[in-house]
Amino acid sequence: MSIYFQKKAHKRTIILSFFFMLWMSGLIVRLVQLQVFDHPRLKAVVIDQNQNKKPIIPKRGTIYDTKGNILARSLPVQSVYYVPSKGEPYNLKLEKINKLKKVLDLSEIELQKLKARIKKDVTFIWIKRKIDPEKEEQLRNLSLSGIYFMEENKRFYPHGQLAAHLLGRVNIDETGASGIEYKYDPILKGKEGEHLILKDAKKREYRFEILREPEPGKDLFLTIDETIQYYTEKALEKAMLETGAKWGTVIVARPSTGEILAMANYPTYDLNNLLPMPTVIDRNQAVHHNFEPGSTFKIVTASAALEANRTNLYDNFDCSKGYIYISGKTIRDHKRFGVLSFPEVIIHSSNVGAIQIGQSLDKERFYRVIQAFGFGQKTGIDLPAEESGIFRPLDTWSRISPASLSIGYEISVTAIQMLQTINIIANRGVALTPRIVKNNLRFPNTLKKKLVSRKRILSKGTASELVSILEGVVQEGTGTSAQIRGYTVAGKTGTAQKFDPSTGRYSFTAHTASFVGFAPVDNPALSIVVVIDDPQGQYYGAEVAAPVFREIASQSLRYLRIPQQEKSLNTIIADNLLKQREK
Amino acid sequence: MVRKKYTRNEITLVVFCTIFIILILTFYVWHQMESVRIGYEEGELEDKVLNLRKEVEKLELLKSSLLSLENVEKIAKEELKLVKPKEKQIVYDDFNP
Repeated sequence: MSIYFQKKAHKRTIILSFFFMLWMSGLIVRLVQLQVFDHPRLKAVVIDQNQNKKPIIPKRGTIYDTKGNILARSLPVQSVYYVPSKGEPYNLKLEKINKLKKVLDLSEIELQKLKARIKKDVTFIWIKRKIDPEKEEQLRNLSLSGIYFMEENKRFYPHGQLAAHLLGRVNIDETGASGIEYKYDPILKGKEGEHLILKDAKKREYRFEILREPEPGKDLFLTIDETIQYYTEKALEKAMLETGAKWGTVIVARPSTGEILAMANYPTYDLNNLLPMPTVIDRNQAVHHNFEPGSTFKIVTASAALEANRTNLYDNFDCSKGYIYISGKTIRDHKRFGVLSFPEVIIHSSNVGAIQIGQSLDKERFYRVIQAFGFGQKTGIDLPAEESGIFRPLDTWSRISPASLSIGYEISVTAIQMLQTINIIANRGVALTPRIVKNNLRFPNTLKKKLVSRKRILSKGTASELVSILEGVVQEGTGTSAQIRGYTVAGKTGTAQKFDPSTGRYSFTAHTASFVGFAPVDNPALSIVVVIDDPQGQYYGAEVAAPVFREIASQSLRYLRIPQQEKSLNTIIADNLLKQREK
Repeated sequence: MVRKKYTRNEITLVVFCTIFIILILTFYVWHQMESVRIGYEEGELEDKVLNLRKEVEKLELLKSSLLSLENVEKIAKEELKLVKPKEKQIVYDDFNP
């Protein structure tokens, strides 16, 4: 080869190498750009294309009553979702949705929402969650492409509306929305798991992998007794239908432990069939609603007077006028009495007498006793949305305030606070925090701290004197309709006029009727508070609320097998029959 | 080249070793297959247990729903035509707590 050609070849090689190097450099630069600088963005794009991480909702814990009866349980059901494949014509997608509409009974609103999501080219669309097994089978028979099923848990309440307000609701994702379900949501719901779904180029799912196992929620045992709850709801419903009242609430408790055995509200709703409802139905009035208690509050007035030694059981009060003037205002009794002794003032529920008892106290002392009973503060019951009631500070009291407070006005309380008051008397002066959750089966110590809280509010002597007075209320006073054959009962009726904000005065037509009491007197097994709001026709606590107490207490005492104190004629007959049979 | 003659014992040993190795390999393959089969069976049984547990939970819920006092009262009143006794119609024995 001549030198000329050798040089030419050399030159060409250099040029070629240069272009090759340039190409290589370009490649390397692009590679660095993709692999280093654009790495996070591109990785996210790829992951989005072929992977999908979804949470696994753990099975929610079961709620039991005190005897192990199921009150709420989650069971697996199927949910239907749609993953449209790329390039699938819009018409075909709509056709599929229309087929689903027939099987799943989708409403027009649901259908419009689905169509809107399909138009937006969303890759995952919920069609309907938590469907019935029959509908699931019908859908599977249709074998529609892109329609998949996912197992989810659905909350079932086997007793429908029993203890509805107490148990509360869960939302579609099984998160507590009210009641016990909300309060104990962290314990009941467990810990979420996570699974990975791998998809092919057409976004079809081909593999599931569990990344983190879900941790199931823990079971909860309540202090509620299904049977007593049933008695309570039935008695309340009957009273509500008879009186045509706006709403009513009843709480039944075991005073010696503070355990709530039943908590009922009316109107109520079916937990398995939730529909949009007004707030007054949805709310647990037992802990949420503030009302002026009226005469049931005379228990506190009497306690304060006895505890302060400003009056005693033998003092007399002149109630013969039937009214009393306080700072230009007239307060009347429901009927004219003569001169009443201290116990008689409470037994016959004299406003004039109670005001005179209240006047014997100094304001600070009265204020401190009301505060000690827990008014104006939450009781600490383990339920959400508990109200504190309204109890004004001492420096805002008017001249009429002590008189108004003596008869249960100028103060707003909740039903649970009134129950707490009667529990203090039933426990001979000791207050226990009311509670609704017994313990957690798997972790018995979880709630132990909250269980024990005892505090002496009244001396044993004062409380015992009050027990005798309240027993007198039921034996010969305003509460005779609360008497139960074979058992001793102590209690107090209450009838309060409701404040009408439109006129700025107390109404003569709207009332709150109530009754608080316990039985048997010597060793109280049950304490009950009944509040009926705005009853029509008869409106006195003695006529409306006391019979509800009687009905619930008589059935519950028998159910709890509490021995009768006095042998009734029927018991004697039964005794004789048994003896004859034994012979 | 003189070919080495194997003794009868040597041949027996080789045959025996071969059979032994084949047996071990066969056992190993069988063992593996059995493990896989038992694994599948175990998985199936675990699924069965899980499904039965779910079924038990469902049945417990159904039982609870059927035995609810509301339901019992409804059947007593509507199907069996029973009526609630009046207070004086009930004769109580003394309760022993």
